[in-house]
Amino acid sequence: MKPKFLLTVFTAFIVVCTSNAQDFRLGKVSLQELKEKVHPKDSSAVAAVLFEKAENKLVYNQENGFEIELVVRARIKIYKKGGYDLANKTLRYYLVNNSREKVSFSEVATYNLVDGKIEKTKLKSDGEFDEVINKYWGQKKIVMPNVKEGSVIEYEYVLHSPNIGNPRDWYFQSDIPVNYSEYINSIPEYFVYNTNLKGFISPKVTVEKHNKSLRIDSKVRVSEAGFSATRTNFSSEDIPYTETRTTYLVENMPAIKEESFVNNIRNYTTSLEQELSMTQFPNSMPKMYSTNWDAVVKTIYDYEDFGLELNKTGYFEEDLNQILKGITSVEEKIAVIFTFVKTKVKWNGYHGYSCEEGVRKAYKTGVGNVADINLMLTAMLRYSELNANPVLLSTRSNGISFFPNRTAFNYVISAVETDKGLILMDATEKYSVPNVLPLRDLNWSGRLIRKNGSSEDVDLMPKVNSKEFANVALDVDNHGVINGKVKLYHANHEALRFRQNHIVTNKDAYLESLENKNNNIEINDYVRENELDLAKPIIENYTFKDTKTAEIINNKIYLSPLIFFSLRENPFKQEVREYPVDFGYPIQEKYSITLKIPEGYEVESLPKAMTVDGGENIGMYKFVIGNNNGVIQIVSTSDIYSPIVTPEYYQVLKDFFQKSIEKQNEKIVLKKI
Amino acid sequence: MNIKNVIIALVAVFSCTVCAQKSEYPIAAIAEELKDNANAVVRLEKTDINIASQRSMNVKTYRAITVLNQKGLSAVNGYENYDKTTTVKSIEAVVYDVFGNEIKRIKRKDFKDQSAAGEGTLFSDNRVLFLDYTPVNYPFTIVYQSEVATSNTAFIPKWYPVSEFYVSVEKSIFNISYPNNLGFKKKEINFSNFTIQKTTDTATQLSYSASNIPALKSEPYASQSLLFPRVMLGLEIFNLEGIDGNATSWIEFGKWWNSKILEGKNELSEETKNKMIALVGNEKDPIAKAKLIYNYVQQKVRYVSIQEGIGGWMPMSAKDVDRLGYGDCKALSNYTKALLEAVGVQSFYTKVYGDRYKIDIVSDFVSTQGNHIILAIPNGNNYTFLECTSQDDPFGYQANFTDDRDVLIIKPEGGEIVRTKNYEDNGNCQNSIGSYVLTEEGDLTGNIKMMSSGAQYGHKTNVEKLQPVEKEEHYKEYWDHINNLKIEKSSFSNDKEKIQFTENVQISAKNYGSVLNGKMMFVVNVYNLNSNSVKRVRNRKSPFEIQRGYLDTDEVNVALPKGYKIEFLPDNFELKGKFGECKTEVVKKEDGSLVYKRSLLVNKGVYSSAEYEDYRLFMEQISRNDNAKIILTKI
Repeated sequence: MKPKFLLTVFTAFIVVCTSNAQDFRLGKVSLQELKEKVHPKDSSAVAAVLFEKAENKLVYNQENGFEIELVVRARIKIYKKGGYDLANKTLRYYLVNNSREKVSFSEVATYNLVDGKIEKTKLKSDGEFDEVINKYWGQKKIVMPNVKEGSVIEYEYVLHSPNIGNPRDWYFQSDIPVNYSEYINSIPEYFVYNTNLKGFISPKVTVEKHNKSLRIDSKVRVSEAGFSATRTNFSSEDIPYTETRTTYLVENMPAIKEESFVNNIRNYTTSLEQELSMTQFPNSMPKMYSTNWDAVVKTIYDYEDFGLELNKTGYFEEDLNQILKGITSVEEKIAVIFTFVKTKVKWNGYHGYSCEEGVRKAYKTGVGNVADINLMLTAMLRYSELNANPVLLSTRSNGISFFPNRTAFNYVISAVETDKGLILMDATEKYSVPNVLPLRDLNWSGRLIRKNGSSEDVDLMPKVNSKEFANVALDVDNHGVINGKVKLYHANHEALRFRQNHIVTNKDAYLESLENKNNNIEINDYVRENELDLAKPIIENYTFKDTKTAEIINNKIYLSPLIFFSLRENPFKQEVREYPVDFGYPIQEKYSITLKIPEGYEVESLPKAMTVDGGENIGMYKFVIGNNNGVIQIVSTSDIYSPIVTPEYYQVLKDFFQKSIEKQNEKIVLKKI
Repeated sequence: MNIKNVIIALVAVFSCTVCAQKSEYPIAAIAEELKDNANAVVRLEKTDINIASQRSMNVKTYRAITVLNQKGLSAVNGYENYDKTTTVKSIEAVVYDVFGNEIKRIKRKDFKDQSAAGEGTLFSDNRVLFLDYTPVNYPFTIVYQSEVATSNTAFIPKWYPVSEFYVSVEKSIFNISYPNNLGFKKKEINFSNFTIQKTTDTATQLSYSASNIPALKSEPYASQSLLFPRVMLGLEIFNLEGIDGNATSWIEFGKWWNSKILEGKNELSEETKNKMIALVGNEKDPIAKAKLIYNYVQQKVRYVSIQEGIGGWMPMSAKDVDRLGYGDCKALSNYTKALLEAVGVQSFYTKVYGDRYKIDIVSDFVSTQGNHIILAIPNGNNYTFLECTSQDDPFGYQANFTDDRDVLIIKPEGGEIVRTKNYEDNGNCQNSIGSYVLTEEGDLTGNIKMMSSGAQYGHKTNVEKLQPVEKEEHYKEYWDHINNLKIEKSSFSNDKEKIQFTENVQISAKNYGSVLNGKMMFVVNVYNLNSNSVKRVRNRKSPFEIQRGYLDTDEVNVALPKGYKIEFLPDNFELKGKFGECKTEVVKKEDGSLVYKRSLLVNKGVYSSAEYEDYRLFMEQISRNDNAKIILTKI
């Protein structure tokens, strides 16, 4: 049977943009490209994308209706051996039945310069591999033949995907320079997409409208909304429609570089995200997907594995009535229910705002994904008459999305609105407490959804300082050996981090690493308090002997006042900074130290007290010191006010750390009386 | 329902009642000493291997493990690999709670099925079925059972009664049965410190049993291979991916490998052969010719790992590598060998364990061993070994990956065990010459030339490939004791002929000398501080090993700031012992400047656990002396 529904596209020639002499057709590699030894703008580049052109279209397919067809053509120059990885290209495709994607490579070849002539080596089937990774994903890989320093490689690939809701993100920028990257999006008027451009460099965007038509030759089955074949329709006509063609073009993109303390480098990489927000087919009502946050949230709420799951209560009622007996205060209810969910259901490691097992099954088996657990938590909080709602968010690894779309989110937590403000909870993390979320959740803002479908932004970044503070008593003898006693507190996120990292660590191994980290001191009498009493800070108590910190030079004892607690090197080493510094949460570190000097010695000099004010965007460092009859008292307090510091404050931040470090490492000098 | 089904149903019901009745492996039954340092306890591990014939082996595993905390989860090892010649006949697990009550059954369909291609492997047809279980509570016990059938008898799984650190063992049993005509053999390793019983040892059966082994702690400078007991097993008559084999000696093994795995893979087109002949020109010396060919290979090919079927063992043909320009270690070694043949240079395919840690091919146990291939070229009475997967290594360079270990050279006339090149302690050098100047404010500017050779060459050359930002980061990490460090300039020269890497670096640092109350204090040793302190270890149990020694020498001119006089200079320092020797001195010159000289030699060696604390103190003294300070007073 012939396809009865034909898509006639009126002449749509690709206009080759020839602002320079380069020929952007595959196969037209120039001598000049092959001869180039280094990248003209970045001589350290191991490779560069000479051009990359993507055409994304919605095409009609008799069986499946509209599908995405993405055609990508690329030419890549390899300058150095370090760039050989670029000669192996991998493309993933989705495998699950009705949204199975198809991928094919063509026009794959390597070009080399041999005795001044261009030599082309085509990829043969033995260089192409198809692999099933797991039940969701497969991948095709190509291994280019004959790649050397100086080679130019080319390929084309076509991806057919029925998942029209979310076209693949397009990255204009990469970890190698990209000379030219173009993305052309051709969308019939029936579809409206939301688009979001990320990154620091904006592509040039041009929009054109074209008149096209769909020709229906004979009787066909068409659906009411869309072309997905449901009812019989007798017609033979041309349906005119408008196609919007949007071209995004970026030239001369520098390579993107990783930096320390970056939340997620993809947030800053120039890229394009799209999501279907509305469909409107002829003679039918428009269907909204995501036009604004409220619409996005409504769509998610209406998913069976979200809203429906949230409304189930029967499975826990009996148990919950039991444990809530006699409990009336809001705080207590929250604490009891939160703990109950954490002990009852364990996280299987999977993200998502849709339930995987379903709350009922998760409750029964004791295992669930993020949504299973936190929707269950929300349901229980609601059941106990608290004003609880789910909060959708995007984890740090998922990046930040600034425009309304469903895929912006990959996670859900729970919030209770109380008269003392909002309390956020994530029951997937066994050591977390209300309002201390695991680091993965701390990513700008989330979206709270109420029962009536209204929603609002929720700031996820912690307002309360996380704390690490220590009371330390030191005793120095006349050989420079320091004996000390420490009580060290870790509170809030610092406590969470400590519990995550160290509770199950073998005690000896922990002490050995603590000794090693702290200038090889010798630790004794180690006791940990509140290990599992999550509401309280973790406290470490120990005594130690330190033979390395104090130095005797020329009969004088030199030691730095914070001994091994001092920060020894600046964590910020870069000269310039491109992206915001992300600490995760505000933090205060405070050390109160008393130091007894040995018999027969007196203080020759002490570091001076000092305050470093980094301003409200950074923090404050205070160093106070005093001498009282042979006992030196020191208080060192460092506050980082904001979890995020933008690049314009980088230099201030670096200096702030530098000054504190220098102060902490200045010496106390003791001399013989 | 027919009779057969009824029986199956009855059996199922029966077996269910049996397990429902008795509680399995309650945690209370674990002896206290087995909980010390343990993240998991092996309650009972039973391995039954049955070799029915040269082409058929069946491995049954029963493993009951109590997992005490999340770090013990990896000890479950609930996975099986499979491919064209290996099938997983059954796989399942049952989870029990603290009291030994059954809480979950995990069937085959609940195991995840995934490609087993690891990071760095481009393609592999090896797949893995693995258990993905989220524990509801710790501790819990899991009983894992599987049965795997394979036609590969060239590898019989080793028996490891202890498989991991921090895991104790209640009981581990091993049984293997085999026909008496396949030349079954075994080798016991590291048995001495463990109670292991050999319960059966006949012409067709071998059994061991081990019980009550406390958990071992992982300790620095110690390796599992020196510590863990194990039994190697093998057949003289075996099958490898469909190819029958027969070898009682390395000579026979080498002949077999050469004829079945390598033969016919070395053909090249006449065109390529002629190209090679032209390339070497009039050169007569085989080593000089090999250098030219090796250089050609390094420019032409790249390393790509592809593991398909017998391709996991058999190299891709030289012709294909010539056409495609890529291959794995087998393909690239075989290709280089073919190119060398074309110019009349003999070389041999060589099996080796490629690893930073030195692992020998076990020379008294003829079997398929090794994880990597290199090429051996006869050079006088010795061999020069080529790493054909590297596009950068100097000709013959082996340090840190294939050096100082037993390898198997495959010659047409048979295999031969040979020791690879040992990099001597005092040849693993870093010789530095430099200077620095201090201003009255304590600001430092300086430059240093560091020349590295031997094993240290291999540690350094990577810096050449770094991006500018990474390069800066590298040096800031390397000299992380210098605050406010700025890297003003860096340049390199890589002499692959002499195998010497030279770094020239200019640095500056504000406030390097701390000025306080008219005095300036600074650490005289700027460029080469031994700060990597050796960890204190409580009750060390394992011997320790320094695998490669090294020698660092430094000579640095120090120009003191104007307006200061010397109040204190560190004493000269000398420390000698079995671990090595260190010497530093500060010499005053006539022009008022100083010269700082330092040499540190660390010896390689294997030492007892008792000597560890001495070693720690030896290094601590050196690091303390490296921090020695000069004090200046304002005039």
